[in-house]
Amino acid sequence: MEISIKQLEHRYMQGTPFERRALHDVNLQIPDETFLALIGHTGSGKSTLIQHLNGLLKPSAGSIKMGNTILEAGGKKQDLKPLRKKAGIVFQYPEHQLFEETVEKDIMFGPRNFGMSEEEAKRTASNVIEMVGLPQTVLSKSPFDLSGGQMRRVAIAGVLAMNPEVLILDEPTAGLDPSGRVEIMELFYELHQKNKLTTVLVTHSMEDASKYADEIAVMHKGELYLHGKPNEIFNERKALQEAGLDVPETVQFLLKWNEKSGQDLSLSAFTIEELAKSLGQALKKRGS
Amino acid sequence: MLQNVIIGQYYPASSPLHRMDSRSKLIAAFFYLFIVFLANNWITYGLLIAFTAVTISASKVPLRYLYKGLKPILILVVFTMLLHIFLTKEGDVLYKAGWFEIYEGGIIQGIFIAMRLLLLVLMTSLLTLTTTPIDITDGLEHLLGPLKKWKLPVHEFALMMSISLRFIPTLLQETEKIMKAQMARGADFTSGPIKERAKAFVPLLVPLFVSSFKRAEELALAMEARGYRGGEGRTRLRALQWHSRDTFALVLLISLTLSLFLLRS
Repeated sequence: MEISIKQLEHRYMQGTPFERRALHDVNLQIPDETFLALIGHTGSGKSTLIQHLNGLLKPSAGSIKMGNTILEAGGKKQDLKPLRKKAGIVFQYPEHQLFEETVEKDIMFGPRNFGMSEEEAKRTASNVIEMVGLPQTVLSKSPFDLSGGQMRRVAIAGVLAMNPEVLILDEPTAGLDPSGRVEIMELFYELHQKNKLTTVLVTHSMEDASKYADEIAVMHKGELYLHGKPNEIFNERKALQEAGLDVPETVQFLLKWNEKSGQDLSLSAFTIEELAKSLGQALKKRGS
Repeated sequence: MLQNVIIGQYYPASSPLHRMDSRSKLIAAFFYLFIVFLANNWITYGLLIAFTAVTISASKVPLRYLYKGLKPILILVVFTMLLHIFLTKEGDVLYKAGWFEIYEGGIIQGIFIAMRLLLLVLMTSLLTLTTTPIDITDGLEHLLGPLKKWKLPVHEFALMMSISLRFIPTLLQETEKIMKAQMARGADFTSGPIKERAKAFVPLLVPLFVSSFKRAEELALAMEARGYRGGEGRTRLRALQWHSRDTFALVLLISLTLSLFLLRS
């Protein structure tokens, strides 16, 4: 689903002495089937921005177009359920939202709310539990008996069960161990490709952003600061540092390499494997 | 959504009333609750009103804020006033229509009762407007200190109170977060028949309880890890200090009481 954000502004507690502007003049086009990484320092407005994408927050000014649904400041009250079904949000620490007696019932909560029949919801639950890498036997357990990592997976399954067209992920790997992080991110990436989803990933990790994203958007002080392809963004190291961020470690290494060796390697190696490959080629060239 | 809720109603300012010791304010407010009932004629009520007006102006709290605190009980005030006007049968008849009569005494009684209620609420809200919740708790702990002799866990009560106060904003944030997460999964908290709506709160309440218990356990652990062992021999970062203005305020209140005794009929 195509997402188009125009001149979006959001003010918290509007009309009180505590009013605070969290977003200002954000213009962002996200084409269909794009994997967008939304990066920014704490308090830069990332979370505020994504909560607009399914109508949890209303714009103070400007508009958001999600497929055929338009949300705009001062717009009429509309039924947001169809939009919320299409745009699934995995919140930070989603395991805090579990509440049902069994994992199965908790996963069925979303689908049932969106009008799926009990039978179908059950089938969906058993599908998504496999997807997130948990055995079927978990379905009959209480979510509160699971480990933290398993709870996270169940909560993610609860969102995937809605079969969204847009997947919005708010730091989905925060607090997980390294192997868990990779597994969860790989899961999202696979889904993104297989189901042709439009994905918005909020993250602090430049490494994750560089590895999975087609586009990167950088937020700074409530404004859209940079937006472009990963290698375009990583050429703006100064600007990134201004926003309290930096390029991924692999790119840092490449920049140093170019500086010391006088070579001009492209900054498109984002994983360690890619970096090793391009260095190998560079060394071979030098040797010959 | 929930961020519009302001916890407590403390109004930050620098006034003689703000600077007073919370103990003297608590004593004064408590004392005031009783002496309001001494007034029974125009002069004594006038005296009380004057005293309250001076206190309000000394507090530097805008009248707008005071009014906000009064709003919820205004209906009650009007209702009791009307009740007295219609039901008291004293003095001259002022108006008569069939069985319906209004007496002079009724009007006076109605006004007095309304005044009494308003004065009570004004003074007590002035206490919470000029004192932070933590100060009130500290003051209460001190004042109730003597009850420890009878094995009343005064310190523990005060601690419980300050912890609850401290965690109200946290709980509100948490509520909002979980509410949003469930709304993103299609939950609806705002529409539908009452029975359905009550049911809709289960997905909100269960996670809140779970996280509250978890947080309580973590807090207890953290307190023990830092050697907390109850109130015995504990010193304070912000010790309460009794100044001459506190003594002055209480003396003023006592003289008000004496005048009320002299002037009441």
